[in-house]
Amino acid sequence: MPLSRLTAWLLLAPTLLLLVLVFLVPIGWFIGGSLAELGTLSEIWEEADAVLFSGAVGGAILNTNWIAALVTLLVLLIGYPMSYALSRAKGLVFTAILLCIVLPYFTSTIVRTYAWMVLLGRNGLINQILLGIGLINEPLQLMYNRTGVIIGMTYVLLPYMVLTLYAAMKAVDQRLLQAAEGMGASPATVFLKVFMPLTLHGVIAGVLITFILALGFFVTPALMGGPGDIMIAMLIEREVELTYNWPTAALMTIVLLTVTLILYAFYARISDQGEARR
Amino acid sequence: MTDTMILPRRLLLGAALATPALRGAKAAGEVIVRTPGGVYDDIMRQHVYDPFTRETGITVRPVAATGAKLIAMFRANNVELDLIDTGDKQLLALENMGALAPIAYDQWRWSKPEDIEPEVKKTYQCGNFTYATVLAYSKTAFPNAHPNSWAEFWDAGRFPGPRMLADAATGSPNFEFALLADGVPKDQIYPIDIDRALRAMTRIRPQIRRFWDTGALSAQMMSDQEVVLGSIWNGRLQTLIDRNAPLAYTWNEHMIQVQALGVFKDARNKEGAQRLADFMMQPNVQAAYAKQLIYGPTNKQAQQFLTAEEKARMPGGENSQRSGFYQNINWWEDNRDRVNRAWSRWVLR
Repeated sequence: MPLSRLTAWLLLAPTLLLLVLVFLVPIGWFIGGSLAELGTLSEIWEEADAVLFSGAVGGAILNTNWIAALVTLLVLLIGYPMSYALSRAKGLVFTAILLCIVLPYFTSTIVRTYAWMVLLGRNGLINQILLGIGLINEPLQLMYNRTGVIIGMTYVLLPYMVLTLYAAMKAVDQRLLQAAEGMGASPATVFLKVFMPLTLHGVIAGVLITFILALGFFVTPALMGGPGDIMIAMLIEREVELTYNWPTAALMTIVLLTVTLILYAFYARISDQGEARR
Repeated sequence: MTDTMILPRRLLLGAALATPALRGAKAAGEVIVRTPGGVYDDIMRQHVYDPFTRETGITVRPVAATGAKLIAMFRANNVELDLIDTGDKQLLALENMGALAPIAYDQWRWSKPEDIEPEVKKTYQCGNFTYATVLAYSKTAFPNAHPNSWAEFWDAGRFPGPRMLADAATGSPNFEFALLADGVPKDQIYPIDIDRALRAMTRIRPQIRRFWDTGALSAQMMSDQEVVLGSIWNGRLQTLIDRNAPLAYTWNEHMIQVQALGVFKDARNKEGAQRLADFMMQPNVQAAYAKQLIYGPTNKQAQQFLTAEEKARMPGGENSQRSGFYQNINWWEDNRDRVNRAWSRWVLR
């Protein structure tokens, strides 16, 4: 029996109340209070103009989007086959793959990022192996630069993509694939003409959620990046923690929040459509 | 020093505004003190907090808090701690906001104000130790000749290899060293010419593997040989050397920085905080914790409790006095915004 609207709201009420109290109120407080410090609307606009169009913020926004896009692409390329394998696997194999994906997430991002630092360092495991078998003469620089950020973020974000895609792939009606085969389609055609279009909404949802999460990334670029790998979240942290310039931080937060909310609106629409199709 | 963890900073606003009061029923008999945390708390508990409790009956509770959290507390009119044990620059920022009470030197009964080094004895803050940023090098990479000045640190032709310097996130990027390397005499560093410092930084930047933002990262990069040269806090480096890491440093051209105590003017236990500050500044107490932190005492009378060997490892000892300079925090505090904007632009280039 479907829940009545009232029951649904009542069941949701504690969660909503918690989110409003510990999440929305502090954000509103911070942004409102910080902007009020700046003064009138035109003064706020002046400051926004000065901050947002200064070199640093523009550069960081570009950086952030570029890194997020690259990471999302990599995550998709790695995640799609992985999810496919997962959606086909049964029993022990399924459990094994799932554990491999989920288990590392029982530890904190910081610990996992440090683990990567041990592997990728100048004298880390990967460089030692490559030097040992004579593939390279000089240690590769895999960390404290863009490469390190991309590797670290791709790893952290992979499960979000895999689990999103898995849900979409699992929902594909197998009979459709069998029907296509029965009509004489080659495996490639079945995949390209039937399976892929049916999982496309999952791809878009996965891409959006990965991209959104990547936009706000902080720990991984802060620990694994080089001097120039500044993302917008790091810049916000600096304004809060270093210069105590909270109005500026609030302005940057609004930018990040707006971009994220727009993307989220797309995400919500697409997952609604996915639901409707089922 | 403001050596904070990276992750919790994100939560600080929410935490500052939303955490319930830390204080329990024993309010009057407890001083809550902001500290850098970690091993520091253990050392201070042994040499300061526990003896203080035995003497006065007042318990001491160390808590972690970033500079922004302290400001958030003050602005929200909800000051949850009494004594602030942090970098002198952060205290200056709080002082400028009107958040601090004057140090009650006239009420001191354990320590004598006249014994405190004049450089660190200020109206609203009192230095409890000094630490130095030194030039460190790998003995593996430089077994014979090693860089002995910042000009030589900047000389990548003669001393090749990856390097590190402090990031603006530590509170101040190493502009002083850049200017020294560029030929500015030690007594003319301030006021810092930001453009000149950044031009000098640009020259060495290709050799910089990373600008370190926490003491932990700087120690890790030196001990993993991720870099062969770097600026680093002397205590962090000495700990590695004591564990037989093939590292060494020069006292030449080191920068002296100050850790200091301040009292929130709205603190619930202001009197207890003042008394704990007084207690901490005693010569024998200072000598005991300074020895373990490998940082320099600020009470002149503490020197008599230290061996020549111990003094040689600390800033303020004979080795350091000849060649060090005090960081001018007034300049840094006055130019906070300018530095940060210039740095962000430069670093993103």
